[in-house]
Amino acid sequence: MDVFVWRGIEVPVDDDGFIQEPDRWNPDMASALAATDGVEKLTPDHWKVIDYIRAYYKENDIAPMVRRICKETQLNLRQIFDLFPSGPAKGACKVAGLPKPTGCV
Amino acid sequence: MIKIEDIARPADRLTEIVPERMVPLPPPYDGVDALPPRKRLTDRARANCDCSLDGFLAVGMTRPKTEEEEQQLIKRFIAGLDRLLSPDDNWAFLQQLTLSLDHCARCQTCVEACPIYTASGRNEVYRPTFRSELFRRIVNKYAKRGGKLLAKLKGEDIEVNATTILRLLESAYRCTLCRRCAQACPMGVDNALLTREIRKLFSMELSIAPKELHENGSVMQLRVGSSTGLKPRVVKDTIEFLDDEIREQTGLNIHTPWDKPGADVLLIHNAGEINAWPENPMAFAIILEAAGISWTMSSDLAGYDSVNYGLWYDDAQFARVAVRQVQAAKKLGVKKIVLGECGHAHKASMVTADRLLPKDLDIPRESSMTFLRDIVLSGRLKLDPARNAFPVTLHDPCNMVRMMGIVKPQRDILKAICPQFREMAPHGVENYCCGGGSGFAVMSAFNFEDWRFLVAGRTKLKQILEAFEDCPDPETKKYVCAPCSNCKGQFRDLFNYYGVWKKSGILYGGLVELIVNAMTDLQKPYIKWEFH
Repeated sequence: MDVFVWRGIEVPVDDDGFIQEPDRWNPDMASALAATDGVEKLTPDHWKVIDYIRAYYKENDIAPMVRRICKETQLNLRQIFDLFPSGPAKGACKVAGLPKPTGCV
Repeated sequence: MIKIEDIARPADRLTEIVPERMVPLPPPYDGVDALPPRKRLTDRARANCDCSLDGFLAVGMTRPKTEEEEQQLIKRFIAGLDRLLSPDDNWAFLQQLTLSLDHCARCQTCVEACPIYTASGRNEVYRPTFRSELFRRIVNKYAKRGGKLLAKLKGEDIEVNATTILRLLESAYRCTLCRRCAQACPMGVDNALLTREIRKLFSMELSIAPKELHENGSVMQLRVGSSTGLKPRVVKDTIEFLDDEIREQTGLNIHTPWDKPGADVLLIHNAGEINAWPENPMAFAIILEAAGISWTMSSDLAGYDSVNYGLWYDDAQFARVAVRQVQAAKKLGVKKIVLGECGHAHKASMVTADRLLPKDLDIPRESSMTFLRDIVLSGRLKLDPARNAFPVTLHDPCNMVRMMGIVKPQRDILKAICPQFREMAPHGVENYCCGGGSGFAVMSAFNFEDWRFLVAGRTKLKQILEAFEDCPDPETKKYVCAPCSNCKGQFRDLFNYYGVWKKSGILYGGLVELIVNAMTDLQKPYIKWEFH
């Protein structure tokens, strides 16, 4: 297992850099994770997406579908991709500290 | 030229992918400089795994660390071979396996049929008969009486060591199981079946399978209900959200029926659709309601996810999932199961499951292609083809066309509702795989995606671009109809990799979206021309 090192803390990640244990994520770590995906600075809009994804995951053990993210944050698909160039699944979920989505998605 | 026996000889790299040697793509995709940078394997992967087949890793099995571990691996592998050839253990595929092992005439007719071999610039390692011949030699030498002596006498010797085993495993994940070679074979030899049996040996005897297919795939499905991780409560909640979306988008008032006893049809989607392409299940609901079909979805474990990844690598996992799905239908007492737009689920449920379902679990299973064709041609929906006034081509999922012969129904629909429908060349049973077949579309560990886009998807991309060569302008929006989740996943990632949406304006999507887009009951177009 690869590790993502952040301020001396080692967090196991998969080959794509997704954290394997969402509980070990913290908000400060998000900026460092975002940097690995080419996002320089996390704005309030980034946080709207991250907070929603995490809250949904906590309740349902799965990331919300993009339509839900758009509806909840009032951001459209293009804006989501502008915020997270790798997209909601590969980008936003990674920054929010969720494991990589599974199955035919 | 690489020889089969080279497989056993340790070397940094047996072969490599050189873009300049590969089949060229039409402009503006002809430059190799414009490609995204290749993903580098981590030091850990390089140290622990064997990437010496072609520099790529799909499964990334850990290399034995000691001589003792290597001997143990070889012993288990050979024991696995014996079981693969035993009627007691290989109850599903022994006959096909034996026929394909014994009857290859080595004529090489099949090799030109392989889109991976040809696209790669005819790289020897990807020749469909290279893998089969390697496996055949191993079986003949290690699993047959007098094999060791005969191997030497016939000049077909092969050494099974850790390098051979690890490369054979990776090689089994360089074929999408599209079966184009099997169709070309004058003897009926099925190289894809051999490939799949190799994968099975690794999974069932050595507990080695890609994480995406096993741990996060079939194991997840049997534990949670779906390989996506959608639990029954969450899938119902999600579909309810989509019913609301239908209302907002179209004004239609639809309540997707759940667990309705005695419904005519149990509709099972690939649950990936629900999460990643929700416009597809939404369109199904709109059509079924408008056509007055008595239908339901099931919230039973695996009853709402038609995927069955075991089809690609493991008989036991396959059987567990197949039985669950049929049990869900039996419990509700529906007349039949209709499978949504998912190619491998078609084969899994309608072909392979027939090998194992006991009589009392037998239930009619129908493809959504014929089911939708009957609805569209019945005139029950009010459709105006003028609403689909854009170029459309059809991608044939291998499992529907080549495996099952479902070719015409989807074309009957497109001809009725898409005035600018054009075929790819070749198509139907001669189609080319999207490059994501046999689970590849969901496999992205290590640097496998680079291989998937550079090699596996290359022939298909070329074919799609050629189908639209009369209208290459990105401002002219075009649609690849791909009635299969796996193919859609591959197209999304492949198009992203080459920048197809920006450069050519080609969108991909399912069949039902086109049908709903043509429905005159809707005020606004159903298809949103945004890439996702």
